[in-house]
Amino acid sequence: MLKIDKLIYNYKNENEYNFSLDAKRGEIVGIIGASGNGKSTLLDLIAGFLKPTSGTITFDGKNLSNLPPEKRPITILFQNYNLFEHLSVKRNILLGINDSSKKSDLQKVRQILEEVGLNGFEDKKALTLSGGQQQRVSLARSLLRDKPILLLDEPFSGLDFDTRVHMLELVQNITKTKDICTLMVTHEIDDCKKIADKSYEVKNGKLTLL
Amino acid sequence: MLKEYWRFKGSLIPGLFVSFALLTLAVLLFLTLFGATDANTTIFGALNQRVIGLLKFTLFQATLSTLFSALLGTLLAWSLAHQPRFFSRSLLIALFSSSLVLPTIIVVFGLITILGRNGWLNHLSNYLFHHSFEGFLYGLSGILIAHTYLNASFAARGLLHSFESIPKERYKLAKSLGFSTFKRFVIIEFPAIKSTLFSISSTIFLLCFTSFAIVLILGGNPSYNTLEVAIYEAVKLDFNISFALELAFVQLSISVILVIFSSSLKTSVSNIKMQESVIPWRDAFGVRVLQKITIFISGLFFILPLVAIFHDGITADFTHIIKSVVFIKSFSTSIIIASISSVITVFFTLFLANSKRNFALYYRIPKSGIGKLLAFLISFSGTLYLAIPSLVLGLGFFLLSQRFFAPANFWATFALLSANILMSLPFSLSVLYPSMLKTAKRYDKLCFSLGISGYERWKYCEWPYLKESIGYVLALSFCLSLGDLGVISLFGNQDFSTLPWYLYGLMGSYRNSDASGVALILLVLVLSIFIFVPKLFKGDGFAKN
Amino acid sequence: MLKILLSLGLLMGSLFAKETLTIYTYDSFAASWGPAPLIKKAFEKKYDCKLKFVATDSAIGAFRKVQLEGKNTKADIVLGLDTNTAELARKSGLFAKHHTDTSKLSLPIKWNDDTFVPFDYSYFAFVYDSNKLKNAPTSFDELANMPKNFKIIIEDPRSSTPGLGLLLWVKATYGNKAGAYWKKLAPHILTITKGWSEAYNLFLKGEADMVLSYTTSPAYHIIEEKKYNYKTANFKAGHYAQIEIAGMLKSSKHKDLANKFLNFMLSDEFANIIPTTNWSYPVVKTKKGLPKAFSLLYVPSKMILMNGKTVEKNRKAYINEWLKALAR
Repeated sequence: MLKIDKLIYNYKNENEYNFSLDAKRGEIVGIIGASGNGKSTLLDLIAGFLKPTSGTITFDGKNLSNLPPEKRPITILFQNYNLFEHLSVKRNILLGINDSSKKSDLQKVRQILEEVGLNGFEDKKALTLSGGQQQRVSLARSLLRDKPILLLDEPFSGLDFDTRVHMLELVQNITKTKDICTLMVTHEIDDCKKIADKSYEVKNGKLTLL
Repeated sequence: MLKEYWRFKGSLIPGLFVSFALLTLAVLLFLTLFGATDANTTIFGALNQRVIGLLKFTLFQATLSTLFSALLGTLLAWSLAHQPRFFSRSLLIALFSSSLVLPTIIVVFGLITILGRNGWLNHLSNYLFHHSFEGFLYGLSGILIAHTYLNASFAARGLLHSFESIPKERYKLAKSLGFSTFKRFVIIEFPAIKSTLFSISSTIFLLCFTSFAIVLILGGNPSYNTLEVAIYEAVKLDFNISFALELAFVQLSISVILVIFSSSLKTSVSNIKMQESVIPWRDAFGVRVLQKITIFISGLFFILPLVAIFHDGITADFTHIIKSVVFIKSFSTSIIIASISSVITVFFTLFLANSKRNFALYYRIPKSGIGKLLAFLISFSGTLYLAIPSLVLGLGFFLLSQRFFAPANFWATFALLSANILMSLPFSLSVLYPSMLKTAKRYDKLCFSLGISGYERWKYCEWPYLKESIGYVLALSFCLSLGDLGVISLFGNQDFSTLPWYLYGLMGSYRNSDASGVALILLVLVLSIFIFVPKLFKGDGFAKN
Repeated sequence: MLKILLSLGLLMGSLFAKETLTIYTYDSFAASWGPAPLIKKAFEKKYDCKLKFVATDSAIGAFRKVQLEGKNTKADIVLGLDTNTAELARKSGLFAKHHTDTSKLSLPIKWNDDTFVPFDYSYFAFVYDSNKLKNAPTSFDELANMPKNFKIIIEDPRSSTPGLGLLLWVKATYGNKAGAYWKKLAPHILTITKGWSEAYNLFLKGEADMVLSYTTSPAYHIIEEKKYNYKTANFKAGHYAQIEIAGMLKSSKHKDLANKFLNFMLSDEFANIIPTTNWSYPVVKTKKGLPKAFSLLYVPSKMILMNGKTVEKNRKAYINEWLKALAR
């Protein structure tokens, strides 16, 4: 279980953020709010890009607060720039894991691409994919890392309606089957209604359960 | 806090190391010079009436030059951005940026051939209207014209990038809101180019402030001198090194103020060019004509002096020039020195920019006093050349060479390399830093969360986006090194000469035809490097976005 | 065996250990088209030694280089200063007295300097193109009274020897009224350059009607380019002379050879090289005489030369007067 307890962050001594939240495995937690209220700050704090002034983040009882981003049991899907367009799908997925293409890795890539519905895409250049396909590849990359927390930073906001619905279903499916804990930041209340198990609203630097 | 610094040690340490090495070198040079003075040195002693007069004029001249360069540069960049299909546009852009790297003395003589008292313009006007503009090129106007010539084109090239990276949606939005061309500029374009404009302007200001050759040839009057002339007098004629040092400190303080000012500006991050450079906005007929005329007239203004150099040099006896042993020696020394210094410049710039961006990204290193200081030191070490008068730099190197014995020509090579690198850094940093800041902003979170770092990060998310700029910086610093005449004067001898030094020697002994020929060779060399080297680094298309 | 090796070694040593004389001078003297290569050849042949010229941007630059190098300097001789800057060099105490018999000098003045030996001379003069200018001024007054659009180019006295020469020339002519004269001349000055080369190049480009150079400058155009249209404006009241000198350093380890070189500067061989390489008059009369073109040159009826000590004492004041007169 992911538990955020009175996580306080001061920005330029002006805005104070104070977040508390918990999420169980197999659960999708929606976080909505208008921009400028602290949605991204919350994600940056959980992912470890920002250092909180005080408070703790724990997962399954383990304190994450002092770990650098890459050591946290977290993967993230960003709104854009998730992929390097000049690299192949396979390369993009294996980024940071391994620079050589071992056979076992290739096997894993194929398998994971199948899970997100992109069979046989491993050698395509990222540049040639549609927006929805690119986000699927990014999702596949997150899955391959086998990390128990998935952060979604409005990754589907640029997609058309049908694609978005498909992606949301995919996320729901994965969360349940892999028993992971998914935090989804969005500004669409519909997204939350559709797949979130519970939702918080960010307002003035604080979270309230809807 | 230390922990954050430690996390980014890989990117912090090389840059900080380079920065401190450069600063140490500067301090060492000053200390050596201090060691050579006997009188008590007081900074205020230098501020006698004459120096204050020079300072006032220099500040005035540099302000005006910067203003004109910025205005013309902006107008030209704006016109070019809106005229993507202008005849031979890309060649024009390459030529525009070359004026900065040509040896000043060649450019000045090119300008004189066109605009001088006996220049083409006066001949044409005499023929057509029986009127001569006489010597308008001499005096304050001449200084301003030459400075604008050299710097407006440099500004235009940098600004064109900013114009072209404005998202096309904004133009569409503005069009749909019924903006006029003027309102579009004020609301959309100016905010987008503002930070680039200011950072380029502060570099131009420093360049004009320290300008030497132009002010001396075209100034026409000792009142129109710069601080450098006073330093020349102090060093050469009076051999008063402490006075020269005092003057150098005056220049140093002004540069420090400017560096502090320009580092307080936010660096534009929208500096990576968009793939599609056609702006979805067809201007009114009158505006289009204005843009075309601007490009055409500026094109003439920038290219005619180069044509003049070509015209003067083409009749030279090239077989005679090329056969000369001194020419071959100077040529090869210049090429070797320029190659080495341009490669080192690229590495130093990457290290410095990679280090500096840590302090500009709050999620990497939170803002703090120490962070600000380190960022300032990095910026300052990149502008040292503009802060230290080149005469003082050369003198310092020479005294160092006296104190520490080294094999023949070691010090000459070292001094020349250092000076060339220091000279290129301000420009290369201004080109590469914004791009590196942008790649960091875009991919930092992705890289951190995936644990991509070191070589892998460089290979996937820096190189593809930077290689074009790196090609440009390489060509830029190569050509700048090729044209340098500052430091060599104390070190030059028949075993160690560079092409500009050789050219200057030819000019000093009636060898005009040979001098024009060598000037033409230098021009062709610089232009071909400027046009072809960046081509080798051209991206495959997608790297631009 | 050892003996053979030793003697071979000695032979080799004597082959390579030829004594080397090092001379610091200004760049155009040392250039491949300047006098240096011919002088080197002649001197090395005559004295079986090596002669090395080191070029700096100016004669003062060469002297300052020696001063900066101090005792470690490799220079034996500094060549190229003139009588106006001699005192500045003498004051440094770095120069040794010469042992040259200066009685055979044929200079427009009597030479009695015990430290420096002259090697060539010329007169400062304004050069013009006779195809463009018909009535050249014959005095400073006439020059200042030329039409408004008559322009000249001069050099800065702070960075160039011709510039300093003109300053002294005017000072010697006008005395207390020199400042007033400069004010009167100011509208005719197109520009003031750092060195002779920029000024002369601007003039050749046709930028100005006259340029401050030497009475011997036309010889270059006659001999090398077969052009007879470059002439000097001849001032009846006389021309200021530039006598170029060389001096031996106290720190020299090759004083003998250095003395030989100073003597050599008064030889026929040296004197025959000077006119067509340094474009000036040699300091001795030779059997061969001057090149024919030199007979076409104007020889001033009166030579003006200020005492070196006076120059050194007042240089700063003269320059300040000049700066003040021209200030805008």
